[in-house]
Amino acid sequence: MGSLLEFARGPLFRFSFTVMVLGLARILFIDIWGAYKAYSKAGDKKMPWQLIRSRGFEWVFPMKRIIRNPHIYSVFSIFFHIGLIIVPIFLFAHINLWKQSVGVSWPALPYHSAMWLTVATIFFAAMMLFWRAFVKSISSLSRGQDYLWLLLLLVPFITGFVCANLSIGAGTYRFVMLVHTFSADLIFLLMPFSKIAHCVLAPLSQVVGALAWKFPPETDHDISLVLNKSRNIEVKG
Amino acid sequence: MRTAIITDEQRKKAFNNSKKPEVLEKQKLNVRYHVEDFDVNDRPRRFLEAFAAILKHSNYRMALDHFSRVAARCSRCTVNCQIYQATGDPKDIPCYRSELLLDVYRRHFTLGGMIKGRLLGSGYLTDEKIQEMAESYWNCTACRRCVLECPMGIDHGLITHLARYILSEIGIVPRALVVSVREQLEGASRNTSAVPVPALKDTLEFLEDDMREEKSVEIKFPTDVENSEYVFFAPVSDYLMEAETLMGIAAVFAVTGDKWTIGTGYFDAINYGLFYNDRVMERVIKNVDEETRRLNGKNVLIGECGHASRVAKNFMPTFCGGRDARPVVSILEYTHKAWKEGRLKLDPDVITEKVVYHDPCNFARNGWIVNQPREVLKGFCKNYVEMTPAGENNICCGGGGGAVSLDEIRPYRTTIGGKMKADQIRKSGAEIVVAPCANCKKQLRELVEDQKLDCRVVGLHDLIYKAIVFDDSMKVGEEEETGREVK
Repeated sequence: MGSLLEFARGPLFRFSFTVMVLGLARILFIDIWGAYKAYSKAGDKKMPWQLIRSRGFEWVFPMKRIIRNPHIYSVFSIFFHIGLIIVPIFLFAHINLWKQSVGVSWPALPYHSAMWLTVATIFFAAMMLFWRAFVKSISSLSRGQDYLWLLLLLVPFITGFVCANLSIGAGTYRFVMLVHTFSADLIFLLMPFSKIAHCVLAPLSQVVGALAWKFPPETDHDISLVLNKSRNIEVKG
Repeated sequence: MRTAIITDEQRKKAFNNSKKPEVLEKQKLNVRYHVEDFDVNDRPRRFLEAFAAILKHSNYRMALDHFSRVAARCSRCTVNCQIYQATGDPKDIPCYRSELLLDVYRRHFTLGGMIKGRLLGSGYLTDEKIQEMAESYWNCTACRRCVLECPMGIDHGLITHLARYILSEIGIVPRALVVSVREQLEGASRNTSAVPVPALKDTLEFLEDDMREEKSVEIKFPTDVENSEYVFFAPVSDYLMEAETLMGIAAVFAVTGDKWTIGTGYFDAINYGLFYNDRVMERVIKNVDEETRRLNGKNVLIGECGHASRVAKNFMPTFCGGRDARPVVSILEYTHKAWKEGRLKLDPDVITEKVVYHDPCNFARNGWIVNQPREVLKGFCKNYVEMTPAGENNICCGGGGGAVSLDEIRPYRTTIGGKMKADQIRKSGAEIVVAPCANCKKQLRELVEDQKLDCRVVGLHDLIYKAIVFDDSMKVGEEEETGREVK
């Protein structure tokens, strides 16, 4: 089991982390390239930058919007995201691994803060799952991956908490740690190919939305030609 | 958890489909709006062909690609959708609606979707899916309020717009809109209400007479004046139904002295293309541009109409010359500027009733025109109140996205679409609702009737017309008022 753990922490981690970085870079590039091409084709190149900025920032710091227009699932989601981002990056044990392997480090969260944040993240993820499963407005929208992602994200948090806080035997510890590491690797591996891609794409949403309303100037001519439609108001299909 | 706020009886009334069975059978389409007969064969293939053509010659692909990757399906958009808030039906959730088209996009226009679909032999576009889209995308009022609440920034309004565009290319589009557009683009009158030029001129003359009698001022509706500062395009229905709005606008120009004109070659601002087809939108906006250039006008001035103003403002540069396109000004901006500069004086003692301002979505959603009309109203209405929410986050009247033109769905519009607005107006206690948009005015008046609200709906310039102060030098004599030949 020890060698499996080393494999998960070593080559597999490097592989999945690389896939994540390259995969996210790829879709980010596709998105930016698409936006650039759209901008080049647009007849009107004046962009509403102020609106894009203000609406974008509203979702980077969403508290104002959440308070103004409460939605329980969103509240859970925000708190969940806080833990989801902060804990893995600023956990002392994780920073230590980075320091040992590549020699870089950064300030870590105090132990108790990290633990409470972990508990909160688990709690909010559980609430999100519950809401997804039992609240009609959300369950009716949910796909398999919406449930699976929450479950998958819960695994490293629960296993991490168990390893850090509970008195368990060495064998159990190694097994739980193995699950912890494998689940993290799997998350990295799947990120670019699922809705989690929003971690890099969401900041571009306002630009994309604004650009999509910037049409190319000869829409009528080009589409009429392709659809072989006369340019009168033919709606007979 | 939310429950529906309309009763089962109201729901039944709102969703009643009065179409004859033989029409439903013939068109193989069960929607509440009327549709002209169209080719029912091979619809999925033709839908995909139209979709492909549009993707190739537009900027929608980039957006669909992005939206289909980031969609988190959190249902937060439910808090801002007045349709869902009224029905409580998951099918009315903006995200659910958007997914109808995004699913087709993923399955047929992305590599992963195509491979998965082929392997599983599933996800093909069917007549049933087209039926669901045809119904769902016309239940939405395209007010874009949900856009404000999407943490992923998905523009559900854009997706509704695109879906309607594709549907229209295979013949699924409300007949009321197509018939109007056909008259506007191919008919002799060149406008959506089929008002001939002689009738327009008669109307304008009649209004001039009215103003002379009421205000003792010689106020003109200049037509075909070349080199004017502003070439004016009103929603043509104003010439039939909104006399006071037009008189208010003419009165404002009378006091400011700016040169404006109405072109008789083309005078309709209405652009239903925004509601269902970009090709139509382009052609209508080009007509507006052509008329402005014919008269060598400096600016395009759009009357009290939300969608027409938005289309002209946002798409004139797109279709009519980019940076060289004629500037577009809304009459609300013009009047506000004149009032700010002190060129327009309004008597604060004329309007004593409780007044509230309704933001037309197409003016307010992107923050374009929010404070300007409010400042003017507060300047002369003693008893001005606000609705909450308002401005960018305003609640749609329920007639947006072309819905108001579909008389056959009035029960839906006033029971479901306008339910939240009706509650909001009732709560404000207003006696006068100011709605500077032809569509909003029609919808709100029907809402007042059907929801038994105790108020009346007017345009901004209707009130301005009542309160406007003319210099004594502008007044004409007694004999001049009664006999035009004296001039």
